[in-house]
Amino acid sequence: MLGIPLKYNVRNLFVRKVTTSLTVAGIALVVMVFLCVMALGEGLTRVFTASGSDRNVLVLRQNSQSELQSGITRDQVPLVETLPGVEKDADGKPLASAELVVVLNLEKREGGSSNVTIRGVEEKGWKLRPGIRLTEGRMFSPGASEVIVSDGVSRRFKDTNVGEELHFGAYRWKVVGHFDAGGTAPDSEIWTDVEGMINTFKRNGYSSVLARTPDRAARDLFVAGLSSDPRLALEGKVERTYYDEQTATAAPIKFLGLFVGVVMAIGACFGAMNTMYAAVSSRTREIATLRALGFSRLSILASFILESVFLSLLGGLLGCVLGVLAVKLALSGVTGTTNFATFSEVVFAFRLTPALLLTGVVFSLAMGFFGGLFPAGRAAFTKITQALRQVG
Amino acid sequence: MKLLPLVFKNLFRKKTRSLLTIGSILLPLFVICILGTMLRALDSDPSNGKGMYRLIVRHKVSITNWLPAAYDPKIRQLPGVVEVLRMNWFGGSYVDQSARNQFARFSTSDADRFLKVFDEATVVEGSEKEWVDDRSGLLVGRLLMKKYGWKLGQKVTLKGDIYPVTLELTIRAVFEAPDETGVYFHHEAIEEALPRVKGFVGWYWIKTASLEATERIPAQLDAMFENSSFPTKTETEKEFQNGWVSMLGNVKLLVTSICTIIVFVILLIAANTMAMAARERVTEIAVLRTLGFRKRQILGLVLGESLLLSLFGGVLGVALYALLFPGFREAVANSPMGGFAAGMKLFPEILAVAFAVTVFVGLVAGLAPAVRSAQRSITDGLRQVG
Repeated sequence: MLGIPLKYNVRNLFVRKVTTSLTVAGIALVVMVFLCVMALGEGLTRVFTASGSDRNVLVLRQNSQSELQSGITRDQVPLVETLPGVEKDADGKPLASAELVVVLNLEKREGGSSNVTIRGVEEKGWKLRPGIRLTEGRMFSPGASEVIVSDGVSRRFKDTNVGEELHFGAYRWKVVGHFDAGGTAPDSEIWTDVEGMINTFKRNGYSSVLARTPDRAARDLFVAGLSSDPRLALEGKVERTYYDEQTATAAPIKFLGLFVGVVMAIGACFGAMNTMYAAVSSRTREIATLRALGFSRLSILASFILESVFLSLLGGLLGCVLGVLAVKLALSGVTGTTNFATFSEVVFAFRLTPALLLTGVVFSLAMGFFGGLFPAGRAAFTKITQALRQVG
Repeated sequence: MKLLPLVFKNLFRKKTRSLLTIGSILLPLFVICILGTMLRALDSDPSNGKGMYRLIVRHKVSITNWLPAAYDPKIRQLPGVVEVLRMNWFGGSYVDQSARNQFARFSTSDADRFLKVFDEATVVEGSEKEWVDDRSGLLVGRLLMKKYGWKLGQKVTLKGDIYPVTLELTIRAVFEAPDETGVYFHHEAIEEALPRVKGFVGWYWIKTASLEATERIPAQLDAMFENSSFPTKTETEKEFQNGWVSMLGNVKLLVTSICTIIVFVILLIAANTMAMAARERVTEIAVLRTLGFRKRQILGLVLGESLLLSLFGGVLGVALYALLFPGFREAVANSPMGGFAAGMKLFPEILAVAFAVTVFVGLVAGLAPAVRSAQRSITDGLRQVG
């Protein structure tokens, strides 16, 4: 089979400048909207998938879905930390941190307010999360009502610069430092000393215990040991699994992206179909000539589908460029939403991955293929004699 | 007006093209209607104004911190307070954690005052007295009764997470209200199983006597507890709801931007169609002009066709939306965002916006081809081939 050169189609597209550019722009906008919304969902998902370690076990009260709902009494902590499987540090002390989480309602810089997690940690809490580093100021000193705030939270909430003070009636905390956790869950948190926090909030215990295990076998042993102790009524969850389970937070955003993307793609596909029908009908004589020259129906069909696919590919690529520009320029800062599993803010950034861009391109190719199918079919079944007789 | 039949004829000369264009206007408009409804529902007031007389008092740090139950008499004695209701979030789960089984579960220390504070709710099955008198009684929203096929007197088991208890409660009354997606029971049911939680509640609802009281009480009440171990924050129901919306992040900006871009997409598609139609009719329009048609009439002819095309798509899109709305609302009500459905209506202003978008698209898309067609000289038009 002899193929019609692609150049034929490309040149034709450039002859009809107005129609081509209107169609390309339409497809590009659809791809851009799809990419931006999906980048939002991807950024949010990434916080959860990047958080937590496979070797850390988060100990919660049975049936608790999150640390906020959980409670562990003071006398339970030594029992948990001495269970077999917990790693020991150089001094022979268990590598585990009993922590308390409370939710603070803070005012956002952009107006409105949202809940932010404040986490009381033991000193060992740092060793359990090696990705965290101070970016400004210093560490809080125990018992002094001092806090350190993540960069992400300080960018979004008032009164969180180093030297400022967070206060709620009689509750006061001085911000002494900022930290960065490399895009993981602590990037949405404020940290302080756990004992000071228990005093401030007049709690009689902790929310959770985070324990490190040396390997998988030890981890499973520790988790099994926890659940088989009926006195404790606690359960252990691998830290990574705990965060993975919260990715559902991003589901509504991804659903929105897909819904808007698919419906709009069908709309844009109709637009492409229109353009292709016009292309076919204005070239009826040309097509008949090609057929008379010996090109097969299949070549004509393929040629017009290719033309349509090429048209929407232009749109798809332009959409990707617009999407990248939008995410890099307009949406480059951090944003946030509430994770209803922990009832507090997750700070995250838009994230446009190569996989997403590829999805955008595939999306545009599909629009081109379906948009070109019927017009190409009409072109392929042009009656040669009738078409050649046609005037104009 | 005499031109109207000609406009119609022109519109359906290329049936495939017109249908495709109508389709590509219809679908985006459908999306705009849905997004617009969600946006509008964020601002809606399901209580129909009754919320103006309600305040909510929570711990200043956040609503997840408890307040002492003993604030009750102190709040009650403030002038302008009609009734006080202590409430608590139970959370927990019903059957399992799946999205289908998510609904709000509250406990209250003052069941007898519940309907006095939420006076837009009425008991439609069972009776208020039976619920108030039964310490393990459950008050259920009508929508949930229907969703789970529950019957009056049936036992419902709720498993706690914040409170490590399993409660077996008996449905004693069903209420009808704008938001019917919650269940309410006595806080004593939790306290009996967990004596340590005695003395604390989640938050207070206040029913005020007047708008003056609604405005005055928050500052007065917060000042009263400012330096206690449990400082408070008092807000109107509306402010409280806005707080939730604000927690979602900048949803409004996101949705508005999406809608704006969608309008542009429709505009491009419609403009393309009109440009193609006008190009094919150059000769024909020149003939019309020689027959005595004025420039103004040609302008009207093309613009009218564009407007009509857009209106077909727009009206069908809005109609499709109106047709599917009850199903859409029910789907939202059954999702984890069920509480949101209460504020969703077939808002007339959203339909009006959709209509305005349609007219805008029709006029703007047709403008360039219409002006060009009208301005082209007759001789030029006649000379053109194809």
